Amino acid sequence: MALLEVDDLRTYFKTRAGEVHAVDGVSFAVDRGKTLGIVGESGCGKSVTALSIMGLLPPSGRTVSGSIRFEGRELTGMSQHELEDIRGRQIAMIFQDPMTSLNPTLTIGMQIVETMQRHLDLSRDDARKRAIELLDEVRIPSARQRLDDYPHRYSGGMRQRVMIAIALSCNPKLLIADEPTTALDVTVQAGILDLLDELREQHEMSMIIITHDMGVVAEAADDIAVMYAGQIVEQTSAEELFDHPEHPYTEALLGALPQLEAEGVREGRLTAIPGRPPDLLDPPPACRFAPRCPYASLGDSCTKEPPELREIRRGHLVRTAHPAGERAAREVEVAAR
Amino acid sequence: MAINPEEVEFRQDVVDRETGGDTYAAGAAIRQASLWRDAARRFTHNKAAVVSMVGFVLLLLYVVIVPLATPYDPNNVDFSLAYQAPSVHHPFGTDEFGRDLFVRTALGGRISIGIGFAATIAIMVVGILYGAISGFVGGWLDNALMRFLDALYGLPYLPFAIITLAIFGVVNFWTMVIALTVASWFTTARVMRGQIITLKENDYVRAAYAIGARWYRILFRHLLPNTLGVAIVFVFLELPNVVLGEAFLSFLGLGINPPNASWGSLAQDGYTQYLSHPILIVIPSIAIAWLILTAFFIADGLRDALDPRTQEHY
Repeated sequence: MALLEVDDLRTYFKTRAGEVHAVDGVSFAVDRGKTLGIVGESGCGKSVTALSIMGLLPPSGRTVSGSIRFEGRELTGMSQHELEDIRGRQIAMIFQDPMTSLNPTLTIGMQIVETMQRHLDLSRDDARKRAIELLDEVRIPSARQRLDDYPHRYSGGMRQRVMIAIALSCNPKLLIADEPTTALDVTVQAGILDLLDELREQHEMSMIIITHDMGVVAEAADDIAVMYAGQIVEQTSAEELFDHPEHPYTEALLGALPQLEAEGVREGRLTAIPGRPPDLLDPPPACRFAPRCPYASLGDSCTKEPPELREIRRGHLVRTAHPAGERAAREVEVAAR
Repeated sequence: MAINPEEVEFRQDVVDRETGGDTYAAGAAIRQASLWRDAARRFTHNKAAVVSMVGFVLLLLYVVIVPLATPYDPNNVDFSLAYQAPSVHHPFGTDEFGRDLFVRTALGGRISIGIGFAATIAIMVVGILYGAISGFVGGWLDNALMRFLDALYGLPYLPFAIITLAIFGVVNFWTMVIALTVASWFTTARVMRGQIITLKENDYVRAAYAIGARWYRILFRHLLPNTLGVAIVFVFLELPNVVLGEAFLSFLGLGINPPNASWGSLAQDGYTQYLSHPILIVIPSIAIAWLILTAFFIADGLRDALDPRTQEHY
């Protein structure tokens, strides 16, 4: 049994303009000790997926159907009170902006200790000792002296390290990192990703990394789910995804990445995906990527029926009528004729 | 990929070479500084606020010490001493009953400032509770509480206090405090609600929810302490308002009963003779103005000092 199993999750938001289907039938599983990367552009529902798992949706949002099983326990029907015991203890979360994620009126030490005292039966002194160990573990220099500093004395990278220390303090089984490096400098980013991966191994955690940066998931993830307009469009292992992307959207995302070494890449321009992500109030009726897809044509099945997520190869799921493999086969066929 | 983490790994040996092995000193805080110490430093850089703080403290000392040290009985009537001009024995002169004004102004200050502080504290308690509950719970309760507040806002300040006093039927220190509280807690409640609503959206509040903190912990540990800066500023904004309100009511004859007097009733005594003996109204008026001005400048200095967004320019 996987640690976390999400099955056909649907999270909708009520707005004045109507119901926004932010997450529309997402399924995935995270195995123990593995890292899942969820990639997609802004507004594709990746953060909402995370918040649904944590039970932290804003009042306007609601998980209308689907199931989230953590160690076999169903989280969707749980009361807030029950969820509060799981949050921080079993599932921890790191947010995007470390500059605002720490309370400016409490010292770093107090904020780490707070989490442990909430969930673990620790004395204040023990909790403080453990907080110093944690700060050492996330490589804050002279942790003992810096424990009683207020957050404004810490830099962005250090604050994210503190957030990681807080997340790890109760030895959670699953860590959800929502754009953990987006707000940081590139050099700091790499350090944080390394640290996350190392600590994940040491603490035998599973991890979900949510990002819009293909580079981040390439480094850190075992499996990758690409999300588009509230749905998973492609899902497979990291190697497979980078070597053999099947969905036109994934191809386009990879094409939009700068590369350093390939022949002639310095001369060319980066490709952008034409058009905009669809309005989730009124998504395209069939394939949601059809309006931006270079392979979709009018009268095609793309505009008539929604494609199913199908297993094109073992462990490689894709939701499109034109996966790269089949396109290639067709070209060969046409040429042969 | 573009970044190779191996290359940006923390190189202790490189840092040691650059800093002579003193990395811990390099990473450690230059000096331990707390939010409050930073705020105190910013406050002391504001000249008007510091001068006002000194003026405010002097006023408090005057009010506290003079009645203890004086040889005169503040309520002793002696017509042979009536209407004396300021002198070494009576720095502010005497009133129509021959009572020393230096002492009576100090005693009046005790009542005015006492009522002021008591009412301000009551206003803060009521306002913060009401505003925090409204903002924190949100939804229909927030709506109901705020519309009720709107209705109260529609009624003018003074009649509110007068009606409250009339309901009690007696005017003493505590009924005055209650009347002034009832008449002026609205603004604090509103501002506090706004504060809480803004703070609720903060990432650290979301982070606190994400570690499984219960609601009371969020409210009392993460939200209310962050309103403290605003609350302290509000104390010094409310204080002069309340003192002025009390003075106003006393001036209208609704104040503390004679022979006790607040600054307002001293001014009212003096008002009848302002042509022949203007000092009788000038002294309590200056006292009131002194308090109000210093409190406002202190509030201003505190607002700059306690705002965490204030950058350090020094």
